[in-house]
Amino acid sequence: MTRQERTAWLFAGPVLAVILVVLALPTLLALALSVTDYSVYALADTANLRFVGLANFAELLATPLFWRAVANTALFAALGVPMAIGASLLAALALNEATVRWKPLWRVALFAPYVTSVVATAVVWQFLLNTRYGLVNYALSFLGLGPVDWLGDPRASIPAILLFVTWKIFGYNMIVFTAALSAVSQDLMEAARLDGASRWHRFRHVTLPAIGPVLLLAAVMSVAGFLQLFAEPYVMTLGGPAQSTVTILFFMFDEGFKWWNLGQASAVAMLLFLAILALTIVQTRIGRRYEWL
Amino acid sequence: MERIAAPGITRRQLMAVLAGVGVAGCTPRREAGALRLWAMGYEGDYAPLLMPPFTQATGLAVEVQSLPWTAAHEKLLTAHASGALPDALMLPAGWVGEFAMVGALAPVADRALLDGLFPGTLAAGRYGGRDYAVPWSVAPQAQFFRQDLLAAAGYDRPAADWAGWRAMGRALKRRRPDEWVFLMPLNWWDTLVTFAAQTGDPMLRDRDTRGNFRSPGFTRALGFYKSLYDERLAPTMLSTELQDPFAAFAQGAFAIYPRSPAMLLDLRRRRAEIADDRWGVARMPGPDGPGPAGGISASLCVAARSPRPAAAWALVRYLTGAPAELHVQRLIGSLPARQAAWAAPQMQAPVLRPFLDQMQAPADQPNVVEWERIRIEVQLIAERLVRGDLTLSQATAAMDARVDRLLAKRRALLDRGAIA
Repeated sequence: MTRQERTAWLFAGPVLAVILVVLALPTLLALALSVTDYSVYALADTANLRFVGLANFAELLATPLFWRAVANTALFAALGVPMAIGASLLAALALNEATVRWKPLWRVALFAPYVTSVVATAVVWQFLLNTRYGLVNYALSFLGLGPVDWLGDPRASIPAILLFVTWKIFGYNMIVFTAALSAVSQDLMEAARLDGASRWHRFRHVTLPAIGPVLLLAAVMSVAGFLQLFAEPYVMTLGGPAQSTVTILFFMFDEGFKWWNLGQASAVAMLLFLAILALTIVQTRIGRRYEWL
Repeated sequence: MERIAAPGITRRQLMAVLAGVGVAGCTPRREAGALRLWAMGYEGDYAPLLMPPFTQATGLAVEVQSLPWTAAHEKLLTAHASGALPDALMLPAGWVGEFAMVGALAPVADRALLDGLFPGTLAAGRYGGRDYAVPWSVAPQAQFFRQDLLAAAGYDRPAADWAGWRAMGRALKRRRPDEWVFLMPLNWWDTLVTFAAQTGDPMLRDRDTRGNFRSPGFTRALGFYKSLYDERLAPTMLSTELQDPFAAFAQGAFAIYPRSPAMLLDLRRRRAEIADDRWGVARMPGPDGPGPAGGISASLCVAARSPRPAAAWALVRYLTGAPAELHVQRLIGSLPARQAAWAAPQMQAPVLRPFLDQMQAPADQPNVVEWERIRIEVQLIAERLVRGDLTLSQATAAMDARVDRLLAKRRALLDRGAIA
């Protein structure tokens, strides 16, 4: 080993060790748990613990609530990722305009929700979304739209939580996009303008290729984030109404920590892990095709 | 502040001090040698007020931690698994069997603690023939009603049978069509459990290994429950949507609020919102008059791994004594489990009469580990029924199917003889 290699290992070693202990090891242990019938009875007496092979997975696939959770989570991700990234991009583009004043103030104001406690903001949004007295319905009434029972109607609950989540998280990607936008070549932009390219064409052919890699990263992180949505439904609706906001992670939390069916819960964790891994691979493939990576 | 500007202290030294303060702030603020007690809800919030006499008499300091009801079950189980349970803890009667089974609780050593208790409170604390909990307070469900609103509709008190109760609801709704009558959020199981208990059909069968929800009694109770929502007497609403149920009751958005005696605390604390002559208490209605009703009874237990069991039992003995239980009653309304306490003058208040009567007829709850979950999941199916996703027969069949699956493990263990 050369001296350089030794130094490299010295720097990477601690991080690798931490990853091994807090990431790889628990994942392996969860895999081991997922093929047992660990339940509250096993907590009482380990003699009650059995190896069940893939029975947890088979039972999971036959549980209607699990599929409900998968469908809800897919809906959250399918609507939420474009909503959140779109909002971040729009805000970043708007803040990037030369005519906008007090940029630092706007940046702080729009970033603030991201660093505020979920529980505190959820309480505020519960009031905003109140059917009778909420500001959201008050605003809708000016558009002639009837009051929406945001958190009580199983069809409105997912959009309601998406509104809250988007507002909560878009500030983070906005800051990332702002940084990426400042790296867009001004010469190229100027040249395109002189050539008569419209605003849309300049965005499509100059800005977008420049921020492509950042967009891809934001998409990967957002998909992973939305698939692991938990805190927002937990504090806003407790999974209701009629289990319309139960997400995969919420289901896992209930099974594992509330009822201590850790075998079943680990099976859920494994499936979610595989799903996120698969989606990330697909996204990277797409990124490679556009030469963003 | 002058210190910071003082010469001789470099910025680096200041940072070191700040870092030290930060680390010190992160270490648990645990009083050395203090007994630890965990309790839920109002009991947890107000228990510290009970401690000074105990500390004075024994010299033992007590540190009370309050847990929210919604997260208590997972917190306690996780604490047991990681060996972090406190010395003494409060458990609702229905959870004692489960925590005794997982080995979290120490059996009651001193039989004298279990003397002179309300009959019927002891059974829930027994597991495998041994007692693990000392009943502390009893909180049967009753209905709080708006005297003024009922009077305007021609009632001086709520009707006592189901049909009459619903007819009264219709009369109230006719007078005030924009308001509601019954405050029973769709994710609270207590009212449905009460209705079911009143019919006399047990909710589980075959040695508590299968659901019994297709029984005529439960079907009737569920049908009655659903009709209250169908007729728009109760809103199809979750508790998460009702930011402040008490305020809704006080403002007249609801005329009837089925609740435990802990409501008495709210009514005292927030007297400015609703005057004393505007509300009353009555027993829950039954199919043909009042019958058994559900409720949450709190027991006190000692953790099996407590390093100081003698001190922990001393705390339990003090808290479950008549004077401390009467103090609890004055503070938060929950009623004493010890019969001797009931002779005290404060217990003769007329508002407590319905609760005392109700305690003679407690609801029979199956003593199985899965009961907490069964109650919640049955309520989830009831919610879908109320929302029109299922018919009544589909709902009861779904409840039986779901509960049979939840009890599969228990069936298998019973067949093997692994549990009693």
